[in-house]
Amino acid sequence: MSQVYNWQLGRDMSYPYEGKFPDRQFAFVFNINRCIACQSCTMACKSTWTFSKGQEHMWWANVETKPYGGYPQFWDAKILNLLEKANPDMQTWDPAAGANAKAPYGKFGGQTIFEAGARMLQPAGARVLGYLPTDEEWVSPNIYEDNPVGPKGARYKFHTTGEQLPVHKTWFFYLARICNHCTYPACLAACPRRAIYKRPEDGIVLLDQSECRGYRKCVEACPYKKSMYRGNTRVSEKCIACYPRVEGTDPETEGQPMETRCMAACIGQIRMQGLVKLNSDGAWAEDRHHPLYYMVHVAKVALPLYPQFGTSPNGFYIPPRWVPREYLRQMFGPGVDQAIERYENPDRELLAVLQLFRRSNRIIFRYQIEEGPLVYEGPYRGKTVRIYNDTVIAFGKNGKEIFRTKVEEPLHVRTNKHQNSI
Amino acid sequence: MPYGEPDPQDPTVLIGVELPVNEDTDVEMAYVFAEEFARLGFSEAQVLDLFHQPYYAGAYRALGTLGEPRIREVVRETMGVWGQSRQVVEDAPQTSRDWDVGLDALQPRGAWGHER
Repeated sequence: MSQVYNWQLGRDMSYPYEGKFPDRQFAFVFNINRCIACQSCTMACKSTWTFSKGQEHMWWANVETKPYGGYPQFWDAKILNLLEKANPDMQTWDPAAGANAKAPYGKFGGQTIFEAGARMLQPAGARVLGYLPTDEEWVSPNIYEDNPVGPKGARYKFHTTGEQLPVHKTWFFYLARICNHCTYPACLAACPRRAIYKRPEDGIVLLDQSECRGYRKCVEACPYKKSMYRGNTRVSEKCIACYPRVEGTDPETEGQPMETRCMAACIGQIRMQGLVKLNSDGAWAEDRHHPLYYMVHVAKVALPLYPQFGTSPNGFYIPPRWVPREYLRQMFGPGVDQAIERYENPDRELLAVLQLFRRSNRIIFRYQIEEGPLVYEGPYRGKTVRIYNDTVIAFGKNGKEIFRTKVEEPLHVRTNKHQNSI
Repeated sequence: MPYGEPDPQDPTVLIGVELPVNEDTDVEMAYVFAEEFARLGFSEAQVLDLFHQPYYAGAYRALGTLGEPRIREVVRETMGVWGQSRQVVEDAPQTSRDWDVGLDALQPRGAWGHER
């Protein structure tokens, strides 16, 4: 085991391999407050990559209803339970241990899936604490909400008004997920064939199917359960981050990097993807006007999903405002309270950056704000709100402007006559 | 439903499990949905309509719990602040030199393409 630095935990940790970091890292921010579980991302991915025989159970992108939903079922509850068994009552954070640029959430005092693996009774060759979901657990992408309900006994009919959908008796929210293309991937660590690798140019984690022998160690090890086994080919598969688009090989962008299918299809405008610069220790290099760097490291409104697992995931979430904080702290770490406070009361820059979501399918590398007039000032829920009509300009990899938008962006609507115009 | 009924003996299935709930969860949820959609450019009527759609389970639940008057109050308050987006109806271009099909061809027709 090597010692590597995990900035999300604020400390060094054990990892089976030496830390190697890409020039740029594939990363993304999802704003859960906006997600309505329309599943457009899910279907965009499915119809692009996993529509073949043997891939029926595969949803590289999925949206699950928390707290009870999960794909595969119970994935997070099971991993958390395993960690708790390995290190009872010790899976805690110390936010006061000095929150700084190298440790923005303080220090994690518990054990990661790599560290806890050594303490659990597993085969000697096992490097990561994990479990293999049952076939049944893979069946439903979002159990009880993944198919329309119809009258009993009538085939191919469903209630068009939705009355028969499950009624939630308590709080809930929709968690959209794809592979986190972790900085310290558990799937990569566990593969006895070394079939999984992290690309040096963009940090995308890929699985070489010609090397894979279907041992399913990656399926067992990935705490987010985003590596999946395909029965008819007897090898595993995983999200490839739509790498041809990220490489800029789609003719539409003329060589410029393009966001993945799931990002581009998001009608709720909850998603933004980027390629961030890394330091030599794997932490994010300062890049003040990169929108993802701003949201994760400056405004700190976007937080990693289950950072305590220790894989340093590169998916970040703006947490849902209405959910009890204890649950959110478990899911996103100790930065939750600050993130929600900032998102509830966005300052001038944050409000402008939030306008960048889904205005283009090109990957944004830098933004610039041109200040505009104060257009609203007044009380709102006990606080004073000021809205400036600033213009935010997005630039691509080649430094050229991709688009510009305003906080008070006019909404252009096609007339009914031309709804289908291209 | 393709699923069997949940097995009450299964310790991992959440049946009758208590979850922590804050008193103002529904109010907060209503504000979030109203704010987000107001920022996306929805009008007051469109946001209210969203709360009446059972498919938008979060907003629909908030309406059921808090009642119509309270939801109207939340939406009105939110729109006053965040509903600043101006709606501009922009028509598609009428002609293009590169197109060989006129936009008139895209007008709604009857079933199977026949004129109504």
